Amino acid sequence: MTEKTSDRVEKKPRIRMDRRRFVQTVVSLGIVGTLVSFLSLLVSLLPSAGAGEELGNVDNVFKYGPEKGTWYSDRSGTDVKLEDFDQVGKGASVIWRGRFPAILIRVDESKVQGATPTSGLIAFASSCTHLCCISTWHLDRPNEDVLFCRCHDGVFDPYNIVKDVMLNGTEYLGAKVIAGPPPRAAPIIPIEITDGKVAGVVGDLGLYDYCG
Amino acid sequence: MSSRMKRIYEWFDRRFNISPLIAEAQRSVNFALPSSLTRQNRSKIFWFGYPFYYAGSIVAFLAILQGITGLLLAFHYVPSAVGDPGTPTQAYVSVQNIMKFIPLGALIRGIHQWGANLLVAALVIHAFWAFFRSPYRIGREISWLLGVISLGLALAYSFSGYLLPWDQLGYWAATISVQIMRSIPVLGDLIAQILLGGTSLSALTLTRMYFYHVSLLPVVAIILVGAHIVLVVLQGVSEPEEAWKPATSQGETGKQSGPLFGPFMPHQIAPVLILCLVTLGIVLLLGAYAVQMPGDPANKFLTPQFIAPEWYFLWAYGLLKWVGWAYEAVHFVPPATVFGVDLLSAKVVGILLAAAMFLVFLLMPLIDRGREVRVLRRPIKTAFGVWAIGFLSALTLYALNEILSASLSIRIDTMNLFLGLIVIVAPLAAAIPFYVILSSQVKETSAKEA
Repeated sequence: MTEKTSDRVEKKPRIRMDRRRFVQTVVSLGIVGTLVSFLSLLVSLLPSAGAGEELGNVDNVFKYGPEKGTWYSDRSGTDVKLEDFDQVGKGASVIWRGRFPAILIRVDESKVQGATPTSGLIAFASSCTHLCCISTWHLDRPNEDVLFCRCHDGVFDPYNIVKDVMLNGTEYLGAKVIAGPPPRAAPIIPIEITDGKVAGVVGDLGLYDYCG
Repeated sequence: MSSRMKRIYEWFDRRFNISPLIAEAQRSVNFALPSSLTRQNRSKIFWFGYPFYYAGSIVAFLAILQGITGLLLAFHYVPSAVGDPGTPTQAYVSVQNIMKFIPLGALIRGIHQWGANLLVAALVIHAFWAFFRSPYRIGREISWLLGVISLGLALAYSFSGYLLPWDQLGYWAATISVQIMRSIPVLGDLIAQILLGGTSLSALTLTRMYFYHVSLLPVVAIILVGAHIVLVVLQGVSEPEEAWKPATSQGETGKQSGPLFGPFMPHQIAPVLILCLVTLGIVLLLGAYAVQMPGDPANKFLTPQFIAPEWYFLWAYGLLKWVGWAYEAVHFVPPATVFGVDLLSAKVVGILLAAAMFLVFLLMPLIDRGREVRVLRRPIKTAFGVWAIGFLSALTLYALNEILSASLSIRIDTMNLFLGLIVIVAPLAAAIPFYVILSSQVKETSAKEA
């Protein structure tokens, strides 16, 4: 009996936590832990994986864009044909794979530097590399052979093809920025022509995803 | 109080114990205001100052008006943007319905639209007025912080609201903002994904924007703005310049003697009510006769020819354009990447500049710790404020370069050069004389005092 008592007396300084303190600590930790674990639910705010991916068969043929008051207005949404581009300087805004806006132009092949047009045609993704407005051809600057972005006056030269690097590290060829804020060239979309229809060649599709 | 009223009052009092609350409310509305204001109410010239002194109450009034009209609009609006690009979505059609078929729908939407514009205008006045008059001295920093954050909330409100009709203007204004958000170094894409449900606008974005506009922001705003107003009641209105005696020939300065504070009720409530009624009149007129129909349905493949955000975002839009112009003017080609991000590209520099300006504004109580509140005795701060107003106005002008050049038929390059120089020169031209004159005056006074 006496031994045990003396034991307890010796051990007492080592017991730092009495029962009240223990309950306080456990309950506080429990509350904090619950709150923190609830924070993990914030992950749900991110969009689901696979959102925005292409569904079903997407065909590679360019379709005419929706601009009003142009030579292709009445063909909006239909397949782009080679025969429509019968003279140098004729261009149209087109849509590729249902989601990439692009500009297709008949160019003077001898003047193009840095790339070879296909049957005289060349195509560029028309989402401006600045803030993703859609560039136009001959609509805002009818007398200049440039891709022009309406939002912040970016100007790209389709006759001067340069190498550039996308922010994700992909190297590509594109129309050089000659004025305005765009940080990089407008990427070329390689073209192939089958049965007179103009189509884009699928390479690295991720390259054209810079507008999200 | 008639005996019947008294019985009703007692019925409530017994159940809800309201008499202490009512006593407290009576005490609160009688909170003291500088009596210099009360005195000035008698002079006619002071009427011109009313909109500045009471801009805050106009904001509160308009916020309530926005709440009521927004509630009514919510009964008819359908937040769905599912559909092919360029075709009317349900959101677009429901706004058309409100405008065309719902009884008084056009008026309600008109009030909501113009109310938002006037609210931001009143808020800008309120903010700059406060900036110049330094009410954020020790003990009032929280009020200032809450106020500046509320300004951000108002902008978030209008940004989310602008997108709701899902028309071309709203869509492209939002697209640009999203891309700007995305170019925030490192975190941009994550922020865009969380706020917008994706890195570009989609039907998901509209759902989130609608949620922010009608649910999240109101809750946050009520809490923050409520705290902002409660603090004014608790602390009383900051003593304005008029409460200070002008320097006498002996160089004596200080607070005016005599009763400095007068009650809010009834002296200050009258001008507040008058201003609110005038504001209501203006909003009703504009809402009835100048309501803007939604434009073409949003089309992600077609940017409209002239796009511009709402007027209070123009300065940011102009800033982006202007940095690009300045780079070109000095033939500076930013490196593609710095530390793995496009840190020096015009848009990132633009964002960082805007963020820095907002941060300076937010942290004013820490930056400016001087005790002097009189505008004319603060040469550096007043000159800085003048510069900021000039800079923001000049950027706003720069944002309109395309429209100005088209309407004045001036070549765009010439226009850009002209406006670009204005952005640099005009704010300085306005601020430097302020600084020179004020600092010489201050020197004179302090020399006299010594």
